[in-house]
Amino acid sequence: MSDERPAQTHSTMLTRRSFLTTTGGAAAGLTLADMLAARQAPAQIKGTNLRLLIWSHYVPAYDVWFDKFAKEWGDKNGVKVRVDHIPHLELPARYAAEFAAGAGHDLMYFAGQILTGQYYRNLVDLSDLAEGLGKKYGGWLDAARSAAQVGGRWYAVPDFFISIPVLWRKDLFASVGMGEPKTWEDLRKAAGQLKAKGHPTGMQFSHCNDANHNWRALMYCYGVKETDPSGQNITIDSKEMREALKFAKAMYDEGMTPEVFSWDDASDNRFLASGVASWIHDAISAFHSTRVTNPKVFEQTFVVPEVAGPGGTWNVGEPNVWAIWKFSKNVPAAKEFIQGIADNQKEAMQASLGYNMPFLRGQYAKPMPYLGNDAKLGKLQDQEKITAFLGFPGPMTPPAQEVVTTFIIPDMFTRVARGGAIEDTMKWGVGEIRRIYAKHKAS
Amino acid sequence: MTQVSPGGPPPPGSLSVAIGDSVRALPWWRTPTARRYLFGYTLLAPAVLYVGLLVGLPFLFSLYLAMSDASVSSPVARFVGLENFASALENATFYTALRNTVVFTVGAGVLKGLLGTSLAFLLLQPFKGRKVVRALIMVPFTLPIAVSVLGWKWMFDSQFSVINWALSRLGLIGSYGSPDWPVWLGQPALALLSVMFVNVWRGFPFSAIVLLAGLTSVPPEVLDAAKVDGASFMQRFRKVIVPMIAPILFIGSAFDTVFTLSDLSIVYLLTNGGPDGSTEILPTLAYNTGIRGGALGRGAAISLFLFPLLLPAMILLLRTLRRRQY
Repeated sequence: MSDERPAQTHSTMLTRRSFLTTTGGAAAGLTLADMLAARQAPAQIKGTNLRLLIWSHYVPAYDVWFDKFAKEWGDKNGVKVRVDHIPHLELPARYAAEFAAGAGHDLMYFAGQILTGQYYRNLVDLSDLAEGLGKKYGGWLDAARSAAQVGGRWYAVPDFFISIPVLWRKDLFASVGMGEPKTWEDLRKAAGQLKAKGHPTGMQFSHCNDANHNWRALMYCYGVKETDPSGQNITIDSKEMREALKFAKAMYDEGMTPEVFSWDDASDNRFLASGVASWIHDAISAFHSTRVTNPKVFEQTFVVPEVAGPGGTWNVGEPNVWAIWKFSKNVPAAKEFIQGIADNQKEAMQASLGYNMPFLRGQYAKPMPYLGNDAKLGKLQDQEKITAFLGFPGPMTPPAQEVVTTFIIPDMFTRVARGGAIEDTMKWGVGEIRRIYAKHKAS
Repeated sequence: MTQVSPGGPPPPGSLSVAIGDSVRALPWWRTPTARRYLFGYTLLAPAVLYVGLLVGLPFLFSLYLAMSDASVSSPVARFVGLENFASALENATFYTALRNTVVFTVGAGVLKGLLGTSLAFLLLQPFKGRKVVRALIMVPFTLPIAVSVLGWKWMFDSQFSVINWALSRLGLIGSYGSPDWPVWLGQPALALLSVMFVNVWRGFPFSAIVLLAGLTSVPPEVLDAAKVDGASFMQRFRKVIVPMIAPILFIGSAFDTVFTLSDLSIVYLLTNGGPDGSTEILPTLAYNTGIRGGALGRGAAISLFLFPLLLPAMILLLRTLRRRQY
C-alpha cells in the first residue's frame, strides 16, 4: 500500500504542475500551489499517514479551504492526510480519551480551550519549529506564549486567534447623537438611551464561551488582573474587579433585557441580525451572517476593535494552537504540516473571511488579507496590540482553564446583575477561584 | 446406592459408591451435588462476568479516580483518600447542583408518572388508528437527543421562541420586549422547569409504554369483577391495577430514576448549568470539572455523590419488589 502512494502523489504533482503551466499567467500574487511548492518536505515523510483532529470552524468556507489545503499538502509531500473535524466543545473529551488510550491523532488542535498546560508532559516539544517560525515571520505576539509555552518551552504552535470586537449600529448611535464608541462608558450611555427606543444591547450572562470572553474584556479594560504574570497567584480580589462588577450592573440595568441570562454563543448574532441590537460584543461571524440575513442592518453595522476602560484597552481573543502527542505515529509529518499551514497563513486569513488573526507579527503587514480590503473590518489590522487571553496577565494554566470551564467569572457578573451585593459576590467568586488554585497547587 | 466403607469412615466431602462388589471413594468435586453446583455456576458465569466487566470494573475505576488526584493528563495518580469528596463539599456550587439534581429527578419523575399513566389509559381504549398513535408517541424517545434538544433550544429562544409567539398571539403575554415575555432559559425557576419539561417530554412515552404493557397484562375479568362489586375507577386503579402491575411499575421507576439522575445531555445542551448555576446538576458539574476542567479525580467524586442517592432508592425498590413476589 505504501508503495502505491508516492506514485499517486507523483501523478498529482504533475497534474498540478501542468495545470499551473497553462494557467500560471492568470494567477495574480501567491497561490496555494506556489506556497506549497516553495518548501520541500523531508523525504522521510513520503508514504506515511497523518491523522489530524481539528474543530469545525465557525466559517464553513474555511473548512473547505483547509481540507483542500490538507489534501494538496499531502499530495505534494506523499503523505496520506486524514482530517477529522469535530465541534470545538467536544475536543477536550476527545483529548482525554486519546490520552487515556495512548493512541489517536498524530496532530491535534486546541481550539478556544487551551490545554497545553494540562498535557505538556505528554506533548512533543516544538520549540525548534516555533522559534523557526518566529524568526521567519517577525516574532510571535507576547500573547502567543500564554497559549503555547510552558516553562519557556513551546509545547504547541499557535495557529490563529479569534478576535471579539464591538459591532455597533451607526444609524442607531446617530439617532441619540453619538458617533463611534471609544469607551465602555460610551457603550453604556448608548445602550441606555437606545433601550428606551427598542434597541437594547446584550452580552451573555450565561454558561457559554462568549460570556467568559466578553466579561473578561470588560475586566481587563478596568485594569483587573486575574493572576500575577506567573499565573500562580490570584490577584482578582481588587478594587478594579469591584468597579467592573458595578459597571456591568449599571450597564445591564440601563441597557439590557433579561434575555441575556439565557443566551448562548449564537444568540447575539441573531440579536444583531434581527435589527434589535444597538451593539454587541462578538466575533465577526455575527458581522458576516448579518451581511447575508439582513443587508439593511449590515449596511449600518460597523466594527470597533475594542473600547477603552479605566485600565486601558484589552480585547480577549480565542486562541487556537497545534499540538502533537508524544505517542503520535508521525511526528515529522505533523511538524511539517504545521510549518506548511503557517507558511500559508495569508491564504488561511482570506479563506476565513478575516476571522483568523495571525500570531506572528510579520503577518500584520498592511494590507492584511481580507481585512485590508474591507472598509469596515480594516480597523482590526492592529488587533495584535490589544489582544489578551483568558487568565491575563498569567498564562492559560490548568487552574485558569478550570475557572473558565466552571464559569465562575460569568456567574459573578450574573449575580451582581441580578441584584446580588458586590461584596457577597466577591467573597463567593474569589473563594471558588482560590479553592481551584489551591487544589491544583496541592496536586 | 451409598454404603459405609469397610476400611473405616470416608474422608469428609467424599462419597463411597458401591460398584458391583467393590466400593470406591469419589473426590468431593465429582459428587453429584458438586457437579450440580458446578453446572449451575458455569451457567451463571457469563452473566457474572458480563456484570463484573461492564458494571463492576467501571464502578471500581470511578472509586479509584475519586480517591486519587488523577487529572486528564496524568497517567499516575496519587491516593488522596476522601479529599476530593471533602473538596466537593467545600464547593458552594455543589450544593446548588445537588439540590437541582434532586428537584430535577423527583419533579421529572412525578410528571412522567402522571403523564405516562394518563397516556397509558388513553392508549388502552379502543379507537381508530390506535396502533399508529402508539407508534408515534415513541418518537420523542427514539429521536437522537442532540437533535431533539436543539429543537427545544429554538423553541425556548429568548427572541424567536415559537411558544412565546403563540402565547403572545393568543393575548396571554405581551409582545417581545415586554416585561411578561418569558425568558425560558434565563429565569432561574423557568430554566429549571424548562430542562425538566424536556426530560419529561422525552421520557414520558417510555413510562406510558411500560405502564401499557402492565395494564394489558391485567386480566379483564378481574377488573369486571371489581366493577360488578361497585369499585370506582380510582378504587380499581389503586386496589386492583397498581398491586397487580407493581413489579412493572417498580422496574420502570428504577430505570427512569437512574436515567433522569444521570441525564447530562439535556442540561448540557440547553443551558450548560447556567445562568449562575440555576440549572446546574451533578452530571454537568462533574463533566465540566472532570473532563473540561481536567480535574478527573474531583469530577469522579462529584459524580459518585449520585451513588448514595441512588443506592437507597434502588434497594428500597428491589426489596419491595421481592417482597411482593413472595
